[in-house]
Amino acid sequence: MIPVVTSAIGLTVAVLIIMLIRTDRLHVTHGIGWLVAALVMAGLGFAPGIFDALATRLGITYGPALAFTIGFGVVLIKLLLDDIERSNLKMRHTRMVQRMAILENEVRQAKRARADKTPQDKDDNS
Amino acid sequence: MRRAETSVNDKNDCLVVIPALNESATIGNVVDALGCAGFNNVLVVNDSSDDDTAEIAERAGAMVISLLERLGAWGAAQTGLRYAIRKGYNAVITLDADNQHPVDACDELLRELINGNANVVVGSCPERGSGLRKIAWKWIKAASGVNLQDLTSGFRAYDRLAIRRAASWRGTLLEYQDIGVLLLLQRHGLVIVDVPVNMRPRAMGGSRIFYNWSVVAYYMTHTLVLSACKRIGLSPYQRPAVAPKVFL
Repeated sequence: MIPVVTSAIGLTVAVLIIMLIRTDRLHVTHGIGWLVAALVMAGLGFAPGIFDALATRLGITYGPALAFTIGFGVVLIKLLLDDIERSNLKMRHTRMVQRMAILENEVRQAKRARADKTPQDKDDNS
Repeated sequence: MRRAETSVNDKNDCLVVIPALNESATIGNVVDALGCAGFNNVLVVNDSSDDDTAEIAERAGAMVISLLERLGAWGAAQTGLRYAIRKGYNAVITLDADNQHPVDACDELLRELINGNANVVVGSCPERGSGLRKIAWKWIKAASGVNLQDLTSGFRAYDRLAIRRAASWRGTLLEYQDIGVLLLLQRHGLVIVDVPVNMRPRAMGGSRIFYNWSVVAYYMTHTLVLSACKRIGLSPYQRPAVAPKVFL
């Protein structure tokens, strides 16, 4: 029963990811990773023997322990990569806020300088 | 350590940057005092204040940049540094808007830059602050290896080289203007000195960090981890790092 449930979860997640990409809620770049993970999960659900064989070869008596360890490791790496990306985005966001404020100030100064031009100046220029 | 550049000539080369958050009670006096002391290039970076800090500063004769989003004291100060690069200033003095930093000491800070004694001058007043703050300084000094008297002082003067380094994307990753900025500048081989100044007690309000245990705990953890990570086994920056597509 467990392989069927695992496969069903994997396939459901895969369909969900496709729906999210279709409705523009998930960027394709991020979607690819999730899609692969979901399909691997579904595949392993249909063929649970793969992990048992791998575990036996590695000297691990309980096959699912290997599956959980690998799964946990992948999630941990994914979270770390997300935090690296978040740091980068935060830095870029801050710099954009700073730059926008500086440009806004320059626009304000330029407008003020134009408004301060006396009619005499305008006549001279024309 | 490289010898400091001497690109600074006088007060006209210098931009005074004041990060300000809800400082309507004091900002006018600070800008006035700077004008009287001969500092005519004053920039107030309004950190999304809820009061009329920006209007008062502008009426007092300062240039004002208003941030759309609150970035904190360092984020606001760095905005001023970036503005200084854009406008070609050779020196920047940063000071607090709460009238704590003595305006007449700006000359002393600037003199160190003009004489080429340092790239960064910190106006220090280790006597100020609570016992808790002094314990914090001791720990941070031990973790970072930075041997300055006053690590948290925002009263600083930067020369052109220091402005460029502090305004870089690496600087943007920092949350506070204290030890992280000093470590960044030190790693670039810049000369940092401190000059004793007499700071006044805050006219209104208190420290934004040393007022609440949970904030102090976060600040200390953050600062100690940063200090230790940046101290161990890092070689000096040899060339400008390639930033991941950054808006400059």
